[in-house]
Amino acid sequence: MQILPYNGAQLVDLCSALLLLTCFAIVAQRRLSSCVDLFALQSAFLVVTAALVAYLTGNQHLYIAAALTAVIKVIIIPLVLKKVIDRLNVKRELVMYVNVPTGLLICGGLVMLAFFIAQPIIPFGFLLTRDSLAIALGIVLIGFFTMIARQKAVTQLVGFLVLENGLFLAATAATYGMPLIVELGVFFDVLIATLIAGIYTNRLQDAFDNVDTNRLTVLKE
Amino acid sequence: MLQAVILVVAQVMVLLAVSPFLVGLIRKVKARLQLRRGASVFQPYADLAKLFQKQPVISTTASWVFTATPYIVFASTLSAGLLVPTFISQTPMNFAGNIIALVYLLALGTFFLILAGLDAGSAFGGMGSSREAIVASLTEPAMILSIFAIALTNGSTSLSTIVQKTALLEGAVADPSPHLMALAALFIVALAETGRVPVDNPATHLELTMIHEAMVLEYSGRYLALLEWAAGLKLAVFLSLIANIFAPWGIATTPAPAAMMVGFLIYLVKIAVLAVVIGIIECMFAKLRLFRVTDLLGVAFILGLLGLLFFYILRS
Amino acid sequence: MIEVAALVAAPLFAGGLSLTVHRSALLHAINLMSMAILVTAEIMITRTMLKDGPFTALEQLVYLDALSTFILFIIGTVGLACSFYMRSYLDEQVARGVIAPTRLNLFFFLFHMFLLAMIVATIANSVGVQWVAIEATTLATTFLIAFWRRRESLEAGWKYLILCSVGISLALFGVVLLYYSSLHVLSDVGQALNVTQLLTVADRLNPHVLKLAFIFILVGYGTKVGLVPMHSWLPDAYTEAPAPVVAMLAGVLEVVSVYAILRMRVIVDHAVPFAFTGGLLALLGFASLVTAAFFILIQHNYKRLFAYSSIEHMGIAMIGFGVGGALGTFGGLFHLLNHAFAKSMAFFAAGNIHRRFHTVEIGQVQGVSTAQPWTAMALMISGLALSALPPFSSFASEVQVVTALASQGVPGMWFTSTEGMVTIALSDQFERLALTAVFLMSVALAFGGLIYRITGMVWGTPTEGVLRQETWSLGHLPVILLAGALVVFSVFLPPPIRQLLEQATTILVIQ
Repeated sequence: MQILPYNGAQLVDLCSALLLLTCFAIVAQRRLSSCVDLFALQSAFLVVTAALVAYLTGNQHLYIAAALTAVIKVIIIPLVLKKVIDRLNVKRELVMYVNVPTGLLICGGLVMLAFFIAQPIIPFGFLLTRDSLAIALGIVLIGFFTMIARQKAVTQLVGFLVLENGLFLAATAATYGMPLIVELGVFFDVLIATLIAGIYTNRLQDAFDNVDTNRLTVLKE
Repeated sequence: MLQAVILVVAQVMVLLAVSPFLVGLIRKVKARLQLRRGASVFQPYADLAKLFQKQPVISTTASWVFTATPYIVFASTLSAGLLVPTFISQTPMNFAGNIIALVYLLALGTFFLILAGLDAGSAFGGMGSSREAIVASLTEPAMILSIFAIALTNGSTSLSTIVQKTALLEGAVADPSPHLMALAALFIVALAETGRVPVDNPATHLELTMIHEAMVLEYSGRYLALLEWAAGLKLAVFLSLIANIFAPWGIATTPAPAAMMVGFLIYLVKIAVLAVVIGIIECMFAKLRLFRVTDLLGVAFILGLLGLLFFYILRS
Repeated sequence: MIEVAALVAAPLFAGGLSLTVHRSALLHAINLMSMAILVTAEIMITRTMLKDGPFTALEQLVYLDALSTFILFIIGTVGLACSFYMRSYLDEQVARGVIAPTRLNLFFFLFHMFLLAMIVATIANSVGVQWVAIEATTLATTFLIAFWRRRESLEAGWKYLILCSVGISLALFGVVLLYYSSLHVLSDVGQALNVTQLLTVADRLNPHVLKLAFIFILVGYGTKVGLVPMHSWLPDAYTEAPAPVVAMLAGVLEVVSVYAILRMRVIVDHAVPFAFTGGLLALLGFASLVTAAFFILIQHNYKRLFAYSSIEHMGIAMIGFGVGGALGTFGGLFHLLNHAFAKSMAFFAAGNIHRRFHTVEIGQVQGVSTAQPWTAMALMISGLALSALPPFSSFASEVQVVTALASQGVPGMWFTSTEGMVTIALSDQFERLALTAVFLMSVALAFGGLIYRITGMVWGTPTEGVLRQETWSLGHLPVILLAGALVVFSVFLPPPIRQLLEQATTILVIQ
């Protein structure tokens, strides 16, 4: 079936909206392992978006990026995080700095802010992915918020990864992907960062008997 | 005129006939997923028939509200059902009300149910009522917001027009994101309003958790039958709403008999699929603690809000 | 372009080799060898650069101009100094059993990777590759910061990792936006992030997008520089990391991050009025300067003292760049160099004191001059240089910055904004006066705090049980050389360095 450019834009739009939707689910989710599952789901949507844009625009290197996302963010990173969670033996996060409904409201506000910021620069974009840039910025801000609002080291990490997903969506949407060498570098960095953070969480657990980052108060003025 | 009457009758028949089936189907799916054989999908029909034959027992403290409520709930839910397109995009009562009337007809039923729960004077009834009041006050804004998002993208509050437009692929699908947000919100609202698992569990009578069951605990005989049927109707109304707003494809857009037959079959498939999805969800998720229900409904509210937001931003 | 390849290859091979070696002497030898290659390559590059002007190498991947060569010079010098210092520092830590000998090669591996990442960030032509390299510096250093594996160091490392990763991610968004704007002008997708390409078309890029991109990049890389309000990781990391690592963080990594901001700024300045970037840089500069001065005053931990002093000096450099013009920019660049020298020296001294006194509390350290005369000298000299007192070159650079500030004022005029809502009509002259006064007052506060604390540590009698002698070691050599350079540079800048600085200034000043 021939996909018309007009319908193509709608599909890309839909995929970006799905990414945003999973963001909200992550914010509302208290169970650590479900957060990781949702992250994997979000990455899967990202793969679909990237592949879709690649197909619609004929940018071959976006397929590579999509494949890398599939391998790294859908499979490897969630596996690593699951391992970490298993070892930590913490199932859920009982306390958050912000309760869920407030958190959701704040996130809604952040999405509005993102649209507000992106508004002036959207018209210069490609027709195909216009709205995705604003959505991507929204995801970045929500990831940022998750890192601030959550206490567990693992959820902070998930927040960081969500943020990265937003960035990747931005790169896919705004510019049909970055130059390949940059993209490879970014993937490499994200993977290493996750591994390092995973090792860290283990060491924090050993040293503090806990991975609540609000216990990290030895250092202060 | 005659055509309109026929449509009303047909719609009423369809809704009345389909709703016990949906309840039975969900139970069957749950049973199968739990590796039980489960009762036949037609069991709810037999239950209703049995209940109608039984003599009702009414508490001595109950006032007229208690006896009137089943009729009011049943009637309001059924009239709400007449506003929702099922197998044909023109709703029989299109002239009488729109999507907003639908919300308030359903709210009317809920209101009387809450009153009746208090009226019987049992402790459980009051508890159920207060819980239902919390849930209802949280679902209402989410539902209104998501419905506004849909109405705005289609430029109409009439469900017939919305479904007709979407079915003919005019406009609505141009921005899928508001629709997607609204769909997610409405689905959560549907689960909450029909007392399904993450919010309420229709299968238990555990005082710690029950909401809907606590309110109707004092009812028996034909009153209970009416309330059960109304609950089924509400489920059918929500499923039809979701199916036809977000996936109206295949619905009859003209009152031609052949189109209507096809539309009816496709309609059955669509709501059956949704019922199966609900059954799966009921098996996969545990019921939320009452104080966590606000989280879930908060999600629905924000999604509805985002749907609206998307609409305004994408259009500007 | 063998020397450019050597820049990357030397730390890469040294890092790989370090992993396979376990003997301490061999590890140090590899390290010094690699540093020697690096410095030689840098000297060759500087000569080529000064003779033939800016050039690209390795299929357009590398771009070297006066600015990046200047940064390479700082990396090489401080890196070499650190390598000498590490010789005595690490051996002692291994002897005391603080570091297991088996983990020594990991330390060296990470150290080389850290160097490699910084070099790549400096010489990369593509802004995207530069981003990747700067993120890589974060990854390489987290374990170095937490190398002691104590609770405090783990906490500091985690904070560093999370804050810097997030900051850096925001910078990536800025890079994406830059690419977004350049794609519309440049047709070659693969080259659209290259500085060489961007500079040719910079005036045609979309100013809206560029402004947004610059804000993201400033916040992102500003986190790595440690500018207020993104600085909260910095004092913790500087307290907990091993002394040579801190010297590298404070002396080099901050400079490289500033460099990344400046690169972006040059591009943005082509399309957006200079006042935009200048105003933002000066704003963050003042925030850092004032906040840091206050914290220096109340500090009772000498490593944190130096950490806040780093924030203060980065603030001063930022004000220099923000004010702009030839004088301000030159002063800012020169200040980066002086700070790198003085601060690495200060942390060498702090490392020595920590090893002898086993405390970071200023109140518990007394009589360093009796216990460790060499270290006391280094501490005094670095303290005076960090306070920008006359015989040192930091005095010269700070005077340049403050002169530029007093004569030109901050661009963008925060007080007399014409389009914004703030319309407190203050005269231009008053604004300059007020800002200069704030600047001088903060510097004076920092001076008082620093000198008061340091003299308290240097004089007096050491507590019982502290060894009172200091034998000569290789670790003292870089301190003497750095101190000498600080004094000499104030009266005489060697011609190659002066040329580099002048040419870098012309690159940065766009009118």
